[in-house]
Amino acid sequence: MRLLLVEDDHKTADYIVRGLTEAGHVCDLLRNGHDALFAATSGSYDVIVADRMIPGLDGLSMIKAVRAAGVRTPAIFLTSIGGIDDRVEGLEAGGDDYLVKPFAFSELLARINALGRRPAAQEQKTMLRVADLEMDLIMRRVTRQGQPIDLQPREFSLLEVLMRGEGRVITRTMLLERVWDFHFDPKTSVVETHISRLRAKVDKPFEAQLIHTIRNTGYSLHAPLAP
Amino acid sequence: MTGSWSRLLRSTPFRLALTFAFLFMLAFILSGAIVYQMMSADLAGQLDDTIKETYAVIAASYADNDPKELVETVESHATRSPKKEQLFSLTDAAGNRLAGNFTAAGLPDGFSMFGAEMPGLPQGTEYRAYSGAVGSNTLTVAISLSETEELETIMLMSFGWATLIITGLAVAGGALLASRVQLRLDGIAATMVDVSHGRLDARIPLTGTGDDIDVVSSQVNAALDRLSGLVDGMKQVSANIAHDLKTPLNRLQMILDSASEKNLSGQKVGSELAEAHAESLQINETFDALLRIAQIEAGARKARFTDVDLGEILQTIAEIYTDVAEDDGKSLSSVELYQTAGRIHGDPELLTQMFANLVENALRHCPPGTTIKLSVARDGDHVLAGVADNGPGIPADEREKVFQRLYRLDHSRSTPGSGLGLSLVRAIADLHGATIALEDCRPGLAVMVSFPLVAAS
Repeated sequence: MRLLLVEDDHKTADYIVRGLTEAGHVCDLLRNGHDALFAATSGSYDVIVADRMIPGLDGLSMIKAVRAAGVRTPAIFLTSIGGIDDRVEGLEAGGDDYLVKPFAFSELLARINALGRRPAAQEQKTMLRVADLEMDLIMRRVTRQGQPIDLQPREFSLLEVLMRGEGRVITRTMLLERVWDFHFDPKTSVVETHISRLRAKVDKPFEAQLIHTIRNTGYSLHAPLAP
Repeated sequence: MTGSWSRLLRSTPFRLALTFAFLFMLAFILSGAIVYQMMSADLAGQLDDTIKETYAVIAASYADNDPKELVETVESHATRSPKKEQLFSLTDAAGNRLAGNFTAAGLPDGFSMFGAEMPGLPQGTEYRAYSGAVGSNTLTVAISLSETEELETIMLMSFGWATLIITGLAVAGGALLASRVQLRLDGIAATMVDVSHGRLDARIPLTGTGDDIDVVSSQVNAALDRLSGLVDGMKQVSANIAHDLKTPLNRLQMILDSASEKNLSGQKVGSELAEAHAESLQINETFDALLRIAQIEAGARKARFTDVDLGEILQTIAEIYTDVAEDDGKSLSSVELYQTAGRIHGDPELLTQMFANLVENALRHCPPGTTIKLSVARDGDHVLAGVADNGPGIPADEREKVFQRLYRLDHSRSTPGSGLGLSLVRAIADLHGATIALEDCRPGLAVMVSFPLVAAS
């Protein structure tokens, strides 16, 4: 993917550019808001990653201006301004995601991947399918190999998030935000517990495992790799 | 002296008093003028009546074309008025005086006025006269206006004095009241100067009368209380941050030192790196939690409040944590959640975090086998939500301290946690105007949070 990174701190910028390049992305780095606004409105990026405190135009105003110009490129704020209201502010300004520094690189990567491959037009799927696992979003029914699987409401939305992100890494924090609407880090194993319950229903009775743990990062749901 | 006068003139209360004094005087003068007009018209009318009556009495003495009796009557009236307050004149057709104390000449019939230029009359006196024919002669009766004028002068004088006294009283009273109000305003100004110089404990003195200045002053004082509370809180936070981050930062430094030593001697430093990473995460977490608390306490979040059903929030918490508790060898029950206890005004996200924190606290500090109970109930005009466990509980003398930032019970220092969870809970409760009570469940601890109910609309 072609990414636009707006970050004025050299060390942080180098760290991110190196990481993103290693992950196979093309990354343009700009250091102030005005240049970034100009570049972003040219519209040839897949994802914008912006710091909030940058010289010139600040990140929040920059994204607002980009949105006002009608550019819908997904944007993620990457910032040390991590207050409760700041996240809401960021999302209201037109950001699609908000990540607070310091962050784990895998977290940033997972979020960029999740944003970048979002279906361009929000096509409404009624059926999700990964290998032999099927989810009917209207009837709220899940089957695997044709056998119905009985899920609790939260387990259903957990599985839905994983299936929508098929093949991508969904981090623990992303799950907390999207499934439970938790914007803080619980001290107990909330995610692990529910994943293990879900596995017991979705994976255990069957031969092939679909939910995979990505160590220190999160989870990924995908068809078993061909041997 | 001139300075204090010009200040007095600029002061709002004095200006108000002056304006009112002026308006009052204007009203007084206006009403006085009206009274004066009416009185003098009345006096003139009375005078005319008296003249006409006297004229009629004299004219009645003329009978059977015999002017003799008339002449006598006129003379007798004239002698009764030696100072010529009243004039009588009887003239024949040729204008010669037949009787009386003056000669009326050239006066029209009916009422008229004439000056005292006539010879033999007091200088400068004006007369009101009535003339008419009696037989072939002309009878004139006139009365001096001096008495009426005197009355009018007395009226004007008393009115003038009254105006003067009232003006004096109004200005003096205004100045007195204004200076008293000014004194209190000066007190407020002095307090605010103190506050702006950093003396946050300065308060505006109250008179205790409960008047409007007192009301405003006590509101300012309340704002100052809150402000100094916040500043104290911030000082406390910075002190705590300094203290609590210093330790892990030192630890981090030591870990990195030993890692670089190992590195120099060619050993692997993987475990040190992992340790350093964990340490830095902990530092960040503490920092975030402190900032979060500070932000909640600042109260900006209140703008996002909506009507919330606490039952629903606890329901969600129960849903999320029942399995977590089970995996941990504990159990979570929420039997009392299904009744609607009423809605409160609040922030769902913060409330969720609050109860998640309380449940997690119970999960972390209680041994396996513990039962944690969630409850919501209506309590008068409050909604009482509780998280109770039958674990070890908290000793009575430590219950208040657990809400302090970074406070940790001795036995829990070994378990992970920043010691900020309950401070966050307290901050969220304060933001919602809720009170927290820690109760002894014998055994166990119950954290009861009492929220004010949304007024039924």
